[in-house]
Amino acid sequence: MRNNPKQCIDSKAVIYWRWSAGIKSVFLLLIPAGYYMAQQHWHWPAWITFVLLGLTLAYAIFAIIFRPDITWRTWRYEVSEQEIDLLHGVFIKTRTLIPMVRVQHVDTQQGPLLLRFGLSSVSISTAAGSHEIPALADEVAALLRDQISVLARVVDEDV
Amino acid sequence: MYEPQRLHPLAVLEFTLRKIYSLGQALLPLLIIAIAQQGIRKWLILAIPILLILFIAYGILYWLGYVFYISGQELRVEYGVLVRKKRYIPFERIQTVQISAGVLQRLFSLVKVQVETAGGGSKAEFVLAALSRDKAEELQQILQAGVKHVEGTEDKTECIEYKLSTRSLLLLASTSNGIGVVLSAMFVIISQLDDFFSKLDVWAKVGTYVEHLATARISLIILAVCFLILLAWILSLLGTIIQFGGFQLRREGDNINISRGLFEKQQVSIPLKRIQAVKVVEGLLRQPLGMVSVQIVSISNSGTKGEGNVLFPLWPRAELGAFLEKVAPEFTIPLELHSLPARSRRRYLLINIIPALIIAILCTIYLPWGYVAFLLPLLGAGLGNRQYSDAGYQVVDDVLLLRSRILGRVTMIIPRRRIQSLHVSQNPFQARSNLSNLRVAVASSNMATTVQLKGMDIHKSGAIMNWFTDKH
Repeated sequence: MRNNPKQCIDSKAVIYWRWSAGIKSVFLLLIPAGYYMAQQHWHWPAWITFVLLGLTLAYAIFAIIFRPDITWRTWRYEVSEQEIDLLHGVFIKTRTLIPMVRVQHVDTQQGPLLLRFGLSSVSISTAAGSHEIPALADEVAALLRDQISVLARVVDEDV
Repeated sequence: MYEPQRLHPLAVLEFTLRKIYSLGQALLPLLIIAIAQQGIRKWLILAIPILLILFIAYGILYWLGYVFYISGQELRVEYGVLVRKKRYIPFERIQTVQISAGVLQRLFSLVKVQVETAGGGSKAEFVLAALSRDKAEELQQILQAGVKHVEGTEDKTECIEYKLSTRSLLLLASTSNGIGVVLSAMFVIISQLDDFFSKLDVWAKVGTYVEHLATARISLIILAVCFLILLAWILSLLGTIIQFGGFQLRREGDNINISRGLFEKQQVSIPLKRIQAVKVVEGLLRQPLGMVSVQIVSISNSGTKGEGNVLFPLWPRAELGAFLEKVAPEFTIPLELHSLPARSRRRYLLINIIPALIIAILCTIYLPWGYVAFLLPLLGAGLGNRQYSDAGYQVVDDVLLLRSRILGRVTMIIPRRRIQSLHVSQNPFQARSNLSNLRVAVASSNMATTVQLKGMDIHKSGAIMNWFTDKH
């Protein structure tokens, strides 16, 4: 077995994920709220409101309190001259290998929430889809992007 | 080819019809309203000929303005009536050059040429609507030679040809899965008819009549169902024969040319370099006969729906190795695959039995005679067992083979340098028993094709990871 990749992602990612899950939960609350209004209006069964509310709350608790820690603890990456090695997954742990010669381009991205925490994500594109390393510190992400783009410059005439 | 030239004048008709069609679609509701109004109908009789003349004039102008030529290492096309558009396609962007003929072209023994480039979208990049066959073939040759020149491969004059025999065609047609599609299409049509007739209240009358008959003779209904199935089968038979009649594969140097179709001849040319993976499919009906269908995963825009990626529709399994060696030597097929460890059999069984069991229980509760559905879990167990024993993998030099079954058995042959990314994953259950899923992603027309093998020993998938990253 190969050794697992070693680099962790930025520890600020945990707070960022809590916030983003919180915002998502607020939007998800619209579903039970919407059902409640419809139920009042058309006299649909009332218990579904509670089921929907319960599901939303369960998701919120899991996504805000538990998941960010686990995700942070399980996310690992490593970039070598030959390949990019990713390991992540809360329940299903997935190890991904991307040979450097298959990398077509690499971007850093930063949404408004990531910006607030000084974080960026790095996305690596191959001819068969892209892979993301979420939430790295801005400088680290920029450095990684430049590093990968230099390493990937090896000309590959296929595909 | 090197001076700007126009299409065959028949293209005028094609352009005109295309314009009428696209505008007609948008204006149809308006038109129907207009016809319904007494006052406007008179005007319409005047307007239609005028519109028609305008459309034809547009078609002629479009044809006059449409020129194509080759310049440097590019195919250039200039077109447009009011807004002139120029489109330059560098040779190295061209993926395939396809010659085909629609009904219109056939009437005048002309062809159309489709030029495809890499990049999203399902339509061919470019269609030259009407050309004489000679010109089309000349163009195809220049473009392909150009592509080769740019890619710097030498042209070998080796040429191999395979044809689908009539006997194979009939076998192909009678074992195709198309029957399911045709059957469901027929059900849809019948249900639509039902909707339509219920408004006219005719169906009800027919219904009572049928009911009357049925009480007299239940066998009549069974007969009718049998007849429907037979009809569906014949339709699917004809469909396959029309699609694959005259199938022919030619390998010329580094190009594979495929032509097929009984009425509308379709020609595709695929450079060997563009083939990402070979997929060998053994359908449920074909496996006992020892026949396989050979398909490819490649990057091109059109011709990806189902039959477009067929390399050869029916081939004896025993001679597959020889076939691949001749046609696509990069893709070897070994005889033996490694099978999965015994402890992963359980997952294959459970994943099939549990849903079947749920359906059976629901049937028993809600349907009379529902417990007959308990045959389903048995079937599920049988299928799961087959899925387990058919699953396997092998690494031969630079090629990875993954075999699995859903219903039909599918073997993927993937060269290492075509694998874009490789994934090994473990769910908590698998982590406990040291099992894992292996997944590889290959570039294809719809962005990516992923191939998965579930239930591999973690050390074996680890070894494949090492093979994958070894001396890249």
